[in-house]
Amino acid sequence: MGEKEESNEPQSLNPASNQEEGILDKLEKKAKKYLRGNKTNLKNLRDKKLKGQLEVREKIYGNAAKVAARAEEWLKPSEEGLLEPENPLERTYRIQQSSILPEVDVLSVSKAFDMKLPDLGPYTIRYLSNGRYMLLGGQKGHLAMIDVLKMDCIKEFQVKERVRDVVFLQNDQLFAVAQKKFTYVYNRHGTEIHCLKENQHPLKLEYLEKHFLLVGTNNFSQLHYQDISTGQVVANYRTGLGPTSVMCSNPYNSIISLGHSGGKLTMWKPTSGKPLITMLCHHGPITAVAYHPSGNLVATAGMDKKVKIWDLRKFESIHSIPGHAQTLDFSQKGLLALANGSRVQVWRDKGDQDFGLYMTHSIPKGYQVGTVKFRPYEDVLGLGHSMGFSSILIPGSGEPNFDSWVANPYETSKQRSKKEVRALLDKLPPESIMLDPGSIGMVRERQRKEKLTKREIEQQMVEAVVEVKSNVEIKNKTKGRNKPSKRAKRKQEEVFNAKKPFLEKQRETKEGPPQKKRRVLLEVAEDLPKSLQRFAKKKPM
Amino acid sequence: MADSTEKNSKKQKRTKAKTVESTFLSKTSKPEKKGRMKMKGKRKGRDNDQRKRRGGGPRLPNVLRQELGLDVKRNSSSESDSEGGEDVRDFYELDEEVAQEESGKNRRFDEVENYQYELPDDFEDEEVPSDEGEDDSDKSEVEDEREKEDGERHLRMLQDITGIPKEAFDGEKKKREEVLLSQADVRSEIVTIHDLLVPLQGMPGYSSLRKRVLQQEKQPMTLQAPLPKSERDKVQRKVSDKFARKEITKWEGVVKRNREAPTLFFEQDQNLGYSTVGAIASGFEPRTEFEKQMAQLRQDPELVEAYKNDGAKMLELNKVSVKDVIDRQNRLAKMRSLLFRHEMKAKRIKKIKSKTYHKIKKKERQKAASAELEMNPEAAKQQAIKQEQKRAEERLTLKHKNSSKWAKRILKRGLDVQDDATRAAIAEQLQKHEELKRKMNSMNNNESSTDEESSDDDDEEEDESKRALKALNKAKEKTAKVLEEGDEAPKKGLFALPFMERGLKKRQEEAYEEARQALEDYDATLNQLQDEGEEGEEETQQNSSAVKVTGKRTFGPAKKPVAQEYNKRKRLDDFGKDSDSEEEDGEFDEPVPQIIEDKNDKTEGVQLGTALLDEEQVMAQHAIFRNLDDMEKAVGPKTSYEVAIFAGDSFRKVRSDSGHSNKATTSSVIHTSKPSHETKETDQSYETDSDTEMVEGFLTTNLTTDQKPDYELPSQAELVRRVFAGDDVAAEFERDKLETLNEENPEPEKPALVPGWGQWTHVQKKKGLPDWMVREHEEKKRKRGEALKKRKDAKFDHVIISETINRKAEKLMATSLPFPFTSKEAYEGNMRMPIGPDFNPASALSALNRPEIIKKPGLIIQPIEYEEVDPDETNDQPKRIIQGAKPKQSSKEKSKKGKSSNKLVPKTLGQKVKST
Repeated sequence: MGEKEESNEPQSLNPASNQEEGILDKLEKKAKKYLRGNKTNLKNLRDKKLKGQLEVREKIYGNAAKVAARAEEWLKPSEEGLLEPENPLERTYRIQQSSILPEVDVLSVSKAFDMKLPDLGPYTIRYLSNGRYMLLGGQKGHLAMIDVLKMDCIKEFQVKERVRDVVFLQNDQLFAVAQKKFTYVYNRHGTEIHCLKENQHPLKLEYLEKHFLLVGTNNFSQLHYQDISTGQVVANYRTGLGPTSVMCSNPYNSIISLGHSGGKLTMWKPTSGKPLITMLCHHGPITAVAYHPSGNLVATAGMDKKVKIWDLRKFESIHSIPGHAQTLDFSQKGLLALANGSRVQVWRDKGDQDFGLYMTHSIPKGYQVGTVKFRPYEDVLGLGHSMGFSSILIPGSGEPNFDSWVANPYETSKQRSKKEVRALLDKLPPESIMLDPGSIGMVRERQRKEKLTKREIEQQMVEAVVEVKSNVEIKNKTKGRNKPSKRAKRKQEEVFNAKKPFLEKQRETKEGPPQKKRRVLLEVAEDLPKSLQRFAKKKPM
Repeated sequence: MADSTEKNSKKQKRTKAKTVESTFLSKTSKPEKKGRMKMKGKRKGRDNDQRKRRGGGPRLPNVLRQELGLDVKRNSSSESDSEGGEDVRDFYELDEEVAQEESGKNRRFDEVENYQYELPDDFEDEEVPSDEGEDDSDKSEVEDEREKEDGERHLRMLQDITGIPKEAFDGEKKKREEVLLSQADVRSEIVTIHDLLVPLQGMPGYSSLRKRVLQQEKQPMTLQAPLPKSERDKVQRKVSDKFARKEITKWEGVVKRNREAPTLFFEQDQNLGYSTVGAIASGFEPRTEFEKQMAQLRQDPELVEAYKNDGAKMLELNKVSVKDVIDRQNRLAKMRSLLFRHEMKAKRIKKIKSKTYHKIKKKERQKAASAELEMNPEAAKQQAIKQEQKRAEERLTLKHKNSSKWAKRILKRGLDVQDDATRAAIAEQLQKHEELKRKMNSMNNNESSTDEESSDDDDEEEDESKRALKALNKAKEKTAKVLEEGDEAPKKGLFALPFMERGLKKRQEEAYEEARQALEDYDATLNQLQDEGEEGEEETQQNSSAVKVTGKRTFGPAKKPVAQEYNKRKRLDDFGKDSDSEEEDGEFDEPVPQIIEDKNDKTEGVQLGTALLDEEQVMAQHAIFRNLDDMEKAVGPKTSYEVAIFAGDSFRKVRSDSGHSNKATTSSVIHTSKPSHETKETDQSYETDSDTEMVEGFLTTNLTTDQKPDYELPSQAELVRRVFAGDDVAAEFERDKLETLNEENPEPEKPALVPGWGQWTHVQKKKGLPDWMVREHEEKKRKRGEALKKRKDAKFDHVIISETINRKAEKLMATSLPFPFTSKEAYEGNMRMPIGPDFNPASALSALNRPEIIKKPGLIIQPIEYEEVDPDETNDQPKRIIQGAKPKQSSKEKSKKGKSSNKLVPKTLGQKVKST
């Protein structure tokens, strides 16, 4: 997995007790991560019983977090390695691939390779989410699926049509290709499974794994959501901002971002026809967008010769890199790769969102890099360029520990099929795509004109009655009017008056608005001609 | 006073003694029990339990009791009791009822006071001399003796009750006697306590007694009136509440702990009883009448025996002789081998790939089918339906209309270049298409044609001889057909069986013979007739030519006979003439395409439909080839291609177009080949469509428009777009933002009056808008301003955040706080942690998802038991409540029962009581 290069050994010189403390501290830190937020403040809570219950609950949560932190040691055995300079004058970006390759193990060496495919045009690439398979799409119709783990070409074929984009669907069994006229879905053997004619002249594709949605932009500047499990077109919106092939999905909340020629970045969800957020990022067309895996950072590249990294919590550009970029990609560990022409740069967050140049690489002059993509769970960066494909080693880019529940590069066919079924059962509806998915299940803010529920009305009524009972002052009256029974009666009247409006409301909610009583035709009336029936008198039964 | 009390008590005791003597109960037993015990003696038949269950023993009517000598007024006061108990009743006493006060019926006065007043009464009694006095004295002597006895008894009783030695009570008695004596001495004087104390001087304990008396004298002695009942009850309640509270509060700790425990875990190490259905069934005991009867029947030894015997008999029946078994085996083996052979054969046949073989096979099948069709109307109907379906399919898909890749390729190359086999194949395909496309009524070719013929005959009104000739011809044909068919024997089913086959053959041979004879007859008659009929034929030919001529002028119905004629001739004559017929066709000057189509249909139909005419088929194919060839020559693929292109994709257009051209050109060749031509055109239109696509997709993209890849110089337009895109981006964005703001928080409408409103007076005009309108407008404006300020994107110039509410996502959120929660914060805090297995290690999972109570199904939760609990103890672990095992429980029960024996006496105890 992660290559540990020149990384310092953990301090082993410290005394044992110190070490223990250190371990405990670490454990606590990890546990904090698993607590998922701060403990709730129970001091303000009046209800003692609830307080007790919540205290117990908090304790259980704490224990669970601790257990999880302890388990992390076993579940995440390896750490990612990074290139680290030995002295302050050394720069990591001076280190070339040629100097890295002799240092790493044989397996890793085999991961760096070039494929020369000069005939069928610039290549776009895509990795499967577990990093096992790669799709190569040549612009002139060349499609290939490669098992990058075994270095084995699974299927290679020609569609004899322009290929604009390729994307894996749920697993390696299916992939979608944006061709000249329609989007096609092929299976692993290259058989055409579907032709999605709904989205014509597609430009760019994106797949939302948890929602089973295939998202595409097209030449008519539309954004098209299609559910691939049911085949339904979930949404089709006109962006009104011109056709674009700059699209990226936010891995945190599955929001789709489009970059437009007006320098705008728009964020979309399938349930609203207007962009959720529109940001003016560049003073020129946007050429590429990429999301940080945390979902908080987004990198945009524009024609105004700038690459900007934005913090979406503050809507602020936290870093700006001068230069063009045709393509951008964030790695699992947050490295940002950008490519322009034949030069590739990798930037790294040095802490506190301070990005610095980490590595550079250049492919032979004249080659134009079309797409850069980090391979998941590996320290590999794939470059699709005009003369084929090449992959280079970027230490510290991939997540070193994979969770086999999430993505397993070594998954068997049985596991794969099981996972597919599971994913289908856990499929999220398109409505669940929103800016803050954490708000699902929380109490939503009440809109103004919303009907109260029966319970709420009851509660309000009780409150009103209590208030009346405590506040009402009954005057002392003269003579026989001040009897206790009369006073009680008066009080009750007051209470009833307080209740009255709520009771009416309740009735309304129960029955709906009051309706006209229907005239019940009596049996007697049935004998009469219809015109006279309405005059028939009702007899007391 | 003391005297009377003593008397009373003595009397009481006496009565008691009387009653008690007869019983075996101890003296402590209550008067209630006496009766009961007596009754016991009488009603021995009743079992003990019944009596015990009754709380108060048997209740008898008072009359009965009196008879039995029991005291009816047992429960009344002692005075009345004593009187009732007296054996001898004096008249005086009967007359003079006891004062109410005395009898205690009326309790208006305290008893203590009563005693005080009693004293003087006594004195009076003594003063009045009477007979009674003697009696009394007599009595008193006896009574004194009794008193002594009673006193002793009383002492004994007291001793028993209190456990204090007899002497203590004895002393008291003596004292009392002395006091009485002293009282007698100073009768008339006022007696004080001091006087009473005087004789005691010098006796032990005197000083202390005196002291007490003095002390008491110092305090004024007043007896307080007793508290009212409600007060008394209140006090009592208070005290009892105190005790009850103490008793209950001790449970508080346990209850609180159980309530607060996140989980209660009930455990018990005892067997939960029946675990399986079998276990339950084994414990079954017959209860109802029916069940009992059933059980009896089931266990009846006779029946069981019978069943066994019967079973044995049944087994005997199973016995088979060895020979039978062998026979059966042999038979089975034979069958098996036959089956196997059959299977093998079927396999071999299935493997055969020879086309000729299959052709033959197919023909055979077809023949069989046609035979069946004739025999079975139902099958014919089904066949018709099938055919109709196939036709519809064909019409939909045009599968056989040269639409396949292979056919297209061949046509593209040109048919005349191809070898014969391919041509034949193409023709066959077309034929198949036509055949499939043909209408239903023309399916049974022979019949329809004959019908037509007959109609023709009617129309033409031929002479008798001709008709006869025709009939003969027909008959001949049919017989010939039958003869030919006759050879065919069904290979499957019932008729395939050997004996059936034999029978069939026999019958066939007979029929064959008959047919042959008939044929000969026909031939003979035909020869006769033909001599006559040659002239007739010539006539018909002339007729037909006449029709041809007229064809120019007349349309529709007039032409039909021509076609039919043509048809008929074709069928009747040898098929070498086909080319001639074509030529004839060529002579038509003004053909209506429909008719031609019709004709073509028929030709093909004739050639195809009957299974009889193999050679004919081949010939027909040739004909069609010629047609196709001609077509190829006449209208080259190029023209058709062009037509297709110009006509666009639509099928219909092409069709009409072609029809039009046909009309215009009036070329005979085109007419004949028209239908096939049409198919070709449409096909090619498809083809060209796909071709162009291909060209666009692959070749042209490579060669012309899209040859330059993205990374090379972009087009001019692209360049221009890029250059000007960044021009006024910021301003544009601002405009956009304003737009969205206006959309989401619309600006309030300007206040305006209805045009003409209030304008008839200048006053209103001057004033302008009414105040309230202006105010409202301002309020709205202010609100909008606030809303804009509140927006999330208010601070950012470069961001628009949409604030439209997402209705669809609302269902994923809670509308109000769920029950126990009172604050949103607490709820959300509680919700923040996922509790599923995907997010937590397995060891923490159970704690996160534990229910409130865990118990095994079927376990009975025992009542809570007391135990000491530390009130400050808090425990997050599940509370384990281990309920005692069975044996322990039973012992506890016993002890409990022992304590509360007076209510529910177990059997054994009751027996014990009886025995004592």
